[in-house]
Amino acid sequence: MLQLIWDGLFVGSFYALIALGYSMVYGIIKLLNFAHGDLYMLGAFIGFTTLTAMGGVTASMSIVALLITMMVSMLLTGGMGVFIERVAYRPLRNSPRLAVLITAVGASFTLEYSVAAIAGPNPRVFPIRLESDTLNFFGARITIAQLVLVGIAILLMVALNAYITRSSVGRAMRAIALDPKGALLMGINVNSVIARTFFIGSALAGAAGVMAGAYYGKIEFLMGFVIGLKAFTAAVIGGIGNIKGAMLGGMLLGLLEAFGSHFLGGEWRDVFTFSVLILFLSLKPTGILGERVTERV
Amino acid sequence: MKRPKMLVISLVAATALTLTGCSGGLLGGGSSDEDGPIKFGMLAPLTGSEAAVGPFMKNGAQMAVDEINEAGGVLGRQIELDVQDEACDPVAAVAAANKVVSNGAVVSVGGYCSGATLPTLPVFEKANIPMLIPAANSEDLVNEGLKNVFMVNATGSQQADAAAKYIEKVGAKNVAIIDDTTSYSTDIAKATAELLKEKGVEVQSSSVTPGESDYSSAVNKALSITPDFIYWTGYFQEGGLILNQVRQAGYTNPYMVGDGSVSPTLIEIAGADVAEGALATMTQTPDTIKGAEDWIANYTEQFGSEPGPYSTQSYDAVRIAAHAIEEAGSTDGDKIIEALEAIDGFEIFSGPLKFTDRHTLSVGGFQILVVENGAFVLKDNLQ
Amino acid sequence: MFAKLKQQSFAGKASDGNPLTRLLNSKYMGWVGLGIALVAPLIIATNYALNIMTTALIFVLLAAGLNIVVGYCGLLDLGYVAFMAVGAYTAGIIAKSFELPLLFTVPAVMVMTILAGLIIGAPTLRLRSDYLAIVTLGFGEIIRITANNLTITGGPSGIYGIPGFSIGDLDLDQPVIFYYITAIVVSLLVLAAARLSKSRLGRAWRCIREDEDAAEAMGIHTYKVKLLAYIFGAVWGGLAGVLFAAHLSAVSPKSFVFLQSALILMAVVLGGMGNMKGVVVGAVFISLMPEIFRDLSEYRYVFFGLLLIVVMIIRPQGVWPTRNREPERMEDVMDAKIVQEARA
Repeated sequence: MLQLIWDGLFVGSFYALIALGYSMVYGIIKLLNFAHGDLYMLGAFIGFTTLTAMGGVTASMSIVALLITMMVSMLLTGGMGVFIERVAYRPLRNSPRLAVLITAVGASFTLEYSVAAIAGPNPRVFPIRLESDTLNFFGARITIAQLVLVGIAILLMVALNAYITRSSVGRAMRAIALDPKGALLMGINVNSVIARTFFIGSALAGAAGVMAGAYYGKIEFLMGFVIGLKAFTAAVIGGIGNIKGAMLGGMLLGLLEAFGSHFLGGEWRDVFTFSVLILFLSLKPTGILGERVTERV
Repeated sequence: MKRPKMLVISLVAATALTLTGCSGGLLGGGSSDEDGPIKFGMLAPLTGSEAAVGPFMKNGAQMAVDEINEAGGVLGRQIELDVQDEACDPVAAVAAANKVVSNGAVVSVGGYCSGATLPTLPVFEKANIPMLIPAANSEDLVNEGLKNVFMVNATGSQQADAAAKYIEKVGAKNVAIIDDTTSYSTDIAKATAELLKEKGVEVQSSSVTPGESDYSSAVNKALSITPDFIYWTGYFQEGGLILNQVRQAGYTNPYMVGDGSVSPTLIEIAGADVAEGALATMTQTPDTIKGAEDWIANYTEQFGSEPGPYSTQSYDAVRIAAHAIEEAGSTDGDKIIEALEAIDGFEIFSGPLKFTDRHTLSVGGFQILVVENGAFVLKDNLQ
Repeated sequence: MFAKLKQQSFAGKASDGNPLTRLLNSKYMGWVGLGIALVAPLIIATNYALNIMTTALIFVLLAAGLNIVVGYCGLLDLGYVAFMAVGAYTAGIIAKSFELPLLFTVPAVMVMTILAGLIIGAPTLRLRSDYLAIVTLGFGEIIRITANNLTITGGPSGIYGIPGFSIGDLDLDQPVIFYYITAIVVSLLVLAAARLSKSRLGRAWRCIREDEDAAEAMGIHTYKVKLLAYIFGAVWGGLAGVLFAAHLSAVSPKSFVFLQSALILMAVVLGGMGNMKGVVVGAVFISLMPEIFRDLSEYRYVFFGLLLIVVMIIRPQGVWPTRNREPERMEDVMDAKIVQEARA
């Protein structure tokens, strides 16, 4: 039982990291960034390239190398997020909503298959593997690597939360989410704040990509798709547009899946996940922490 | 009012007339080329979720084609390999099959995903083109009893036989079998589970969704029965991850994988130390046949990477097809099929070839491999 | 004469006199499209070409069905392929177990898809549009995974060896004949869908798309009307499924992945939401793209992705938007927000 909970939370922290990006972007410009899961994939591949380039250094100082790799990957993935926003989304900010969704799908295709064309469709094996001792915690197996990763994830999320609630840019983000026109009139540089949002969201996805690569060892060009869908689900469960909701939703989804596949069998897990989601939305459509939005008069 | 309509109609008519003049429309006639190269069609997944395997098949087949061409070709003509992407998608596969047929293939040497290969059977059947299927191995392929369908890959039940035989041999009593919900994998898993249950072995079956990274729930479920044997019937990507994750979770008993997992990448993904001692059910491969080092060296030299899953079967499919055409003395579908049925003892990687009445291999040729020093080597030939 | 034509085509809306746009909006374009479809096999009739064209036609039908849901009524559906799956599986299972020609399964398919439309639509149509998107995506996945896991649907291999349309000695499964059958069925259904938009119901859908609250205020039972859009979409998708099953003679879960739904949606949006002619062009384009790029195999989706972005940036309302309305604008989220708050 404890094992299930721990496994669920561990997977859930990955979902949460990716869901954050979805949620931030949605919260501010109401865009479902379909390419977000692929930024996670891109982050993993950038990490792979960086580590391979560092070569021999990695063997002796794997943790340091990994942290450096993570920084590099976050920077580049974040940059790619900003680039996508600039090229594919910004020109369409005043267009029909579906058009932006289509470019998002287009961006997702482009990212996936560009990586496949450059790195090949074969799965790649990460040069560094986080291997560590296993702790026994009341019958649940927990590895130190898992603890470190969850620690990093929580750290990133807490930092993000502080950034959004404390810093002036964070205030600007919230202002835009609340009332874009008002924010503009108050002298906030809406474009730059939106670009920054994309940078942060994408960087988090990139970090998650490196973490996944180092922990599981295998990366491939389609790895972002499924986890993108799950993160999207997580963001909706938590209340899309809400930062804490995204974290909560990620963890919750991880737990649901762990229990779902344990009791129903792995082949039914996604059916279970999506059924719960639908049930959930029918009963509480704004997600757990979503604000009450009344669309009708 | 009338002008645009008239304009359009005459435009369409004019285009139609010009185009029919020079190509094979209903109004024009097609002609087949009797002196050019003989075309072998091949459907392999080059894009999509299974894109990793396509090049292995393509290269294996290309290698056989090159060898045969160097030796003078077939019936004095060169062979040309026409590889089309099936993307593991039925619609793409049927389109690709039609393209191969339209391009004038006389035989098909491809087919990877069973679900995508099944709808291509009628396409090849109508064109009377023999199919030598190197990778797809669902029994469904031959259950229809089409006369043009031959399986060069051993079937799931043959592999299950081998797996059950070995599991019984090592005396395992509590076996966890994990599949990945593809037809290839579930076929083997179900058949193995049945055979084992008949022999009084406790079996726990479970499935995972392929293409993910975290299989902790499958691992927990498998370990909940404290198994003394785990058999994974899916492909190498998940196979490597699950191997790594069961070992992390403290499982020390044997872990065996099916032939779709026999790849150096499995060892890389699981980690070389972790993979050491892992078992596999596999047909004979160059690694396990004496004197086949040359084959691997040639392959590696030609394509810059080591052979992978289904390289050998694709290589064999081309050789069998060429042999049959040579024997038949013709590229006519019926004659090739007759020649294929008459083959007895043609040497391929899995042993001397003879097709059963169902057009499957009479000898599965399965044996047990083990990972030693980071490579799969022969452990038990099950004789 | 041209002036008159222009007046007819652009009734009530000032517009650019771009000759291309004018030509495309001519009311004869539908006939021209049909003409091209009917003449095409006379030009190239290899089985490959016929197969591609048949696939394209089925795709057109799917896009037409989704256009009812997304284009007319403005409901975002990311799991539309589920309806095709329901139709294809129903047809396949019945035809195979009773050895019936597929034609006779049509009534059962209609019943099943209407049921599916009700089951998916009833609990979810009250949701906000973004949630509707994820829920439909979820339903699409549920249908596919369920088909993959059940025995009656043939598990992962699916159902194969499905009898075609042939009745007795009448061979209707020759690629050319099948192509023409498909062409006629699809044309009729596309025409029907196009007529629907002009009906009273079609006006109600448009009204909901533009402003749901106003529609409700005007006395339109929005929930019921939305559900109807869903059911019509489902039936169109189901019929496409029957053609699909007949065309491939096999149905397997691999055909109903999310990518398919995304592609259909792309066709609708690229073509121009709500405009049936545009959607047909969009569908033909999307379904032929991978085949045209087939020789580039590994790179084709890269081009595909880039092309989508470029087209959307150059013509965000779709290549060929419907002409009798203002394109639905996100009008800087801002105004939408203001309106939303006013409503709250």
